[in-house]
Amino acid sequence: MVNLDPEALKKEAENEINQAANPFELGEIYRKYLGSKGVVRMILKEIGSLPNEERKKRGLLAKELQESIKKLIGNRENQLKVTAGDVAKKEEETLDFAIPKIGHLHPLTQTVRMLNQLFIEMGYSLVDGPEIETDEFCFRRLNVPLDHPARDMQDTIYIEEPDFLLRTQASSIEARILAAYQPPLKVVCAGRVYRNEKVNKSNHFIFHHYQGVVVLERISLKDLFGTFTYLFKKMYGPEVIVRYRNKYYPEVEPGVGPDMQCFNCQGKGCSLCKGVGWIEMAGAGIIHPNVLEMAGIDSQRWMGFAFGLGLDRWVMTKYKITDIRTLLGGSVGYRYYENENTL
Amino acid sequence: MSAIDITKMKILYSQIKQLVPQLKANSREIGAALTMTGFMMDSLKKVNFKGRPDYLISFEVRQNRPDCLSVIGLAKEVAAYYGLKFMLPAVAVRYPKTGQLNIGVEAKKYVQRAFAVEIKELKNRQSPAWLKEFLSFYNINSINLLVDLSNYAMIFTGYPSHLLDKEKVTGRFFWALNNEFNEITTLDGSRIPLKKKEELLIRDEKNGLGLAGIVGGKIASLDLGTDSIIAEMAVYDRVIIRRNSRDLNVTTEASHRLGKDLDPNGLDFASQFLVSLILENCGGRMTAKPFSYYPKKYLAPKIKLNPALPSLYAGIEIPVAKTVKVLKNLNFKVSQSKNGLVVIPPENRMDVAIKEDVIEEVIRLVGYDKIPANQVPQLRIVDEITPKIIHLKEKIRDILSILGLDEILSWPLTKKEINLLVNYRNWENIATQNSVNEEYPDLRQSMATGLLFQLDEYLKKNVSHIRLFEIGKVFGKDKGRYSENESLGILIQSLGKSITELKQIIETLLRFLGFNDLRYRIVDTKPQLANPYSCWEIIIKNKAIGILYKLQPDYGKGNIYFAEMNLSELARLLESFHPNPVIELDKKLISLDANVELYEKEPLDEFLGEVKKKIGEKNIWAITVEDAFPLENNRIRYTIRISYQGLTDNEAKEKHLNAFGLERNISHNFAV
Repeated sequence: MVNLDPEALKKEAENEINQAANPFELGEIYRKYLGSKGVVRMILKEIGSLPNEERKKRGLLAKELQESIKKLIGNRENQLKVTAGDVAKKEEETLDFAIPKIGHLHPLTQTVRMLNQLFIEMGYSLVDGPEIETDEFCFRRLNVPLDHPARDMQDTIYIEEPDFLLRTQASSIEARILAAYQPPLKVVCAGRVYRNEKVNKSNHFIFHHYQGVVVLERISLKDLFGTFTYLFKKMYGPEVIVRYRNKYYPEVEPGVGPDMQCFNCQGKGCSLCKGVGWIEMAGAGIIHPNVLEMAGIDSQRWMGFAFGLGLDRWVMTKYKITDIRTLLGGSVGYRYYENENTL
Repeated sequence: MSAIDITKMKILYSQIKQLVPQLKANSREIGAALTMTGFMMDSLKKVNFKGRPDYLISFEVRQNRPDCLSVIGLAKEVAAYYGLKFMLPAVAVRYPKTGQLNIGVEAKKYVQRAFAVEIKELKNRQSPAWLKEFLSFYNINSINLLVDLSNYAMIFTGYPSHLLDKEKVTGRFFWALNNEFNEITTLDGSRIPLKKKEELLIRDEKNGLGLAGIVGGKIASLDLGTDSIIAEMAVYDRVIIRRNSRDLNVTTEASHRLGKDLDPNGLDFASQFLVSLILENCGGRMTAKPFSYYPKKYLAPKIKLNPALPSLYAGIEIPVAKTVKVLKNLNFKVSQSKNGLVVIPPENRMDVAIKEDVIEEVIRLVGYDKIPANQVPQLRIVDEITPKIIHLKEKIRDILSILGLDEILSWPLTKKEINLLVNYRNWENIATQNSVNEEYPDLRQSMATGLLFQLDEYLKKNVSHIRLFEIGKVFGKDKGRYSENESLGILIQSLGKSITELKQIIETLLRFLGFNDLRYRIVDTKPQLANPYSCWEIIIKNKAIGILYKLQPDYGKGNIYFAEMNLSELARLLESFHPNPVIELDKKLISLDANVELYEKEPLDEFLGEVKKKIGEKNIWAITVEDAFPLENNRIRYTIRISYQGLTDNEAKEKHLNAFGLERNISHNFAV
């Protein structure tokens, strides 16, 4: 038996109706009191088991309660319509200044994406490789046998000397790709590399390389230079001046050092370019026949070029970051509202 | 031992002029020329030498070219570039033809050539100013005249030598592997412990006198009272010099040169140059015929060269005559054969062994600046081989940044204690053996390490709204093998106490990628940092691909939630299915509800999987759980709404009845 106290029920309903913030909440209240399983319906259901006199009295009270609630809901509904209208009107006149937070991509990611886009347009695929490497793929397959003088150039961090190490160069990915795929090939990859170097404002023991490899039936330094000039002009603008000089890398022959004329002094010599007027940007060259042969590729039939760029300095220059430790060291912050224009 | 820069060689402009008398180019032009041909000018300084203005040019020598770690070698490069004659200084030494020195070589496997001479009645003294001045250009301290002349000869010729006080040598002097001495004290007093493991020594019958090819010992060192010496000069198997230098952690000017392919034949001139310098500056006389050991004379290789190849490699026409001229300027011997050219490099060019070496020589001297660089190559189209995981990572970055998360990148190195807090996988910690960063020697096992570090950094700097992600590698040793996989870590700081916000990010991400078959289960191995009551495994297609948890309340940074997913695994799953969400919408959709009561333990996703099967994928537009209401006896009542497509009302109702009504004792409550 429902304890029918019409006044108490009416008050309770009235409170709830006045607190309803929208028509949906009002609908819930309607169902609670007047719906098929609502309070009023339950009272009416129970009336049947009451004596006649009582039945009539409770029936009237229930009816009265039903009407009162209907009326209260009707009034509140009208009020809400007005409120909604007012809000809509207000919204037409003012703006909500709570701009939602937008997410950002790391500057290194943005730069890699830009480079990837350039090379995808030229028909290159993107590839990747392991960071824990073997001596075989990091050195020997790149024409740097054990105890070769070229090992002086890279101070290795070992996991298990001499066989397992953290890759010192993204060229290890080149060695893996050459071993895994048959030419013709055109690939680029971005990778984190490790060297046992002291950390300071301009050097880090973890940094990032961007590597490219092409193997075709015929290829020349002219193709390599053309690719690089296109890349530099896309990255730094059409006025950029690039030169190519001979430079030794064990995995290539002939080797190439592409330099960009110092943007700070226009080639006159300054502290940024150490007085020489040029900034070293990359290492490249025609893939050494030993590298191809070690990958099982016939060096009499196939030729290739490979190149590697250090990404960190590019990123630092582009984003005006003065300390290389910022990139991975927890100090990259993003403005709340601004995002990079990636179009 | 002073620190040396092993890739640099300096040369005075006046020395180049002396060796290439016809040279007209100035120091800056020479620097630019050699830069283009493989020796980058590192610096150019105005200096005074012997009271005259001069220029000291520093070049980078990266190649396996010990010949260019000398004044002679670099001057030869200048002569070759300009096509001028190179003039080696005249040196005439008359060696005694009789007598025999008590000197020998026991480590025959490692000594390619050795020379020694005994000189007595000489006068040692302080070096003259010009010599001290010269050595200071190379950061070499003056010791005394004899030692300084030895260093001068090394810089001029590229061949290190070693002078010993004859009076301090006991009995026979010889080269041998160490099996006797536990340490050696060097000239500067440093004590180097020896391992008796293939260490090549110069020694006498009593003492170790020096590490051969690396550094001399104190025992037989020269002083101002020295009046008789043994002067030795040798060329070794470079491998043993490099190994000894590396294993004993001693790098010197000598080891740097002898650890490369130094021409044994060049020792003739270098040793004469040294002896003549000593005799000229210190007087003295040789006591006997010099000791000479050279069992197998080095002969330069004959290399066949197709004369078309330099043009093919460069991409421009290089006439054969030009190729021949360039090679002759470099002192290569060139002859014609039926099949092309036969090229013999000069003996000091031990780095030239195959045709590609010769091609590089030709092109670098012809000039890279002659090759056009402004034509975008029209290379042939090749197969696309980009693996799916690279596209996956890029897509994830886009989605998460749109959802308001910032990408960070962090060190993959951490420490074992941090790995222990965040690892949830059954793999072992991997430590580096020699990382320069001793504080963080271990490879991370979870992306949480970097994200938590970043959280701390941001909190220190009052950054709010912290919602981060990182994609990178995590590492562990699995069944004895080094293993790594691509991983995504997401970390958010939330005002809410529920994990729902992060769960929604993950679900949006995964559904966007095409994964619908997503569920969670309680994790068996929880990371120590996780709140054990709020830690779930993320399951896709019955495969665990990651973890989702709230950090322990005592982590003390507010409500922090973390999720990690194995992207390598996710990429494999992506490759296994090809969802197609596009349909032809030719009929109105029909939505029907059903109430289903299940025990709490009964997984809803499995039940819905069965329902899907019964209805058939092609007629399902959507399945949504509209309500979940807890009942007594650990049961839950779910209101499930199926939206049917491509069916009439009656067909939909029939499918609905079949799917829910026939096989389970459940209540139905249809609503259209």
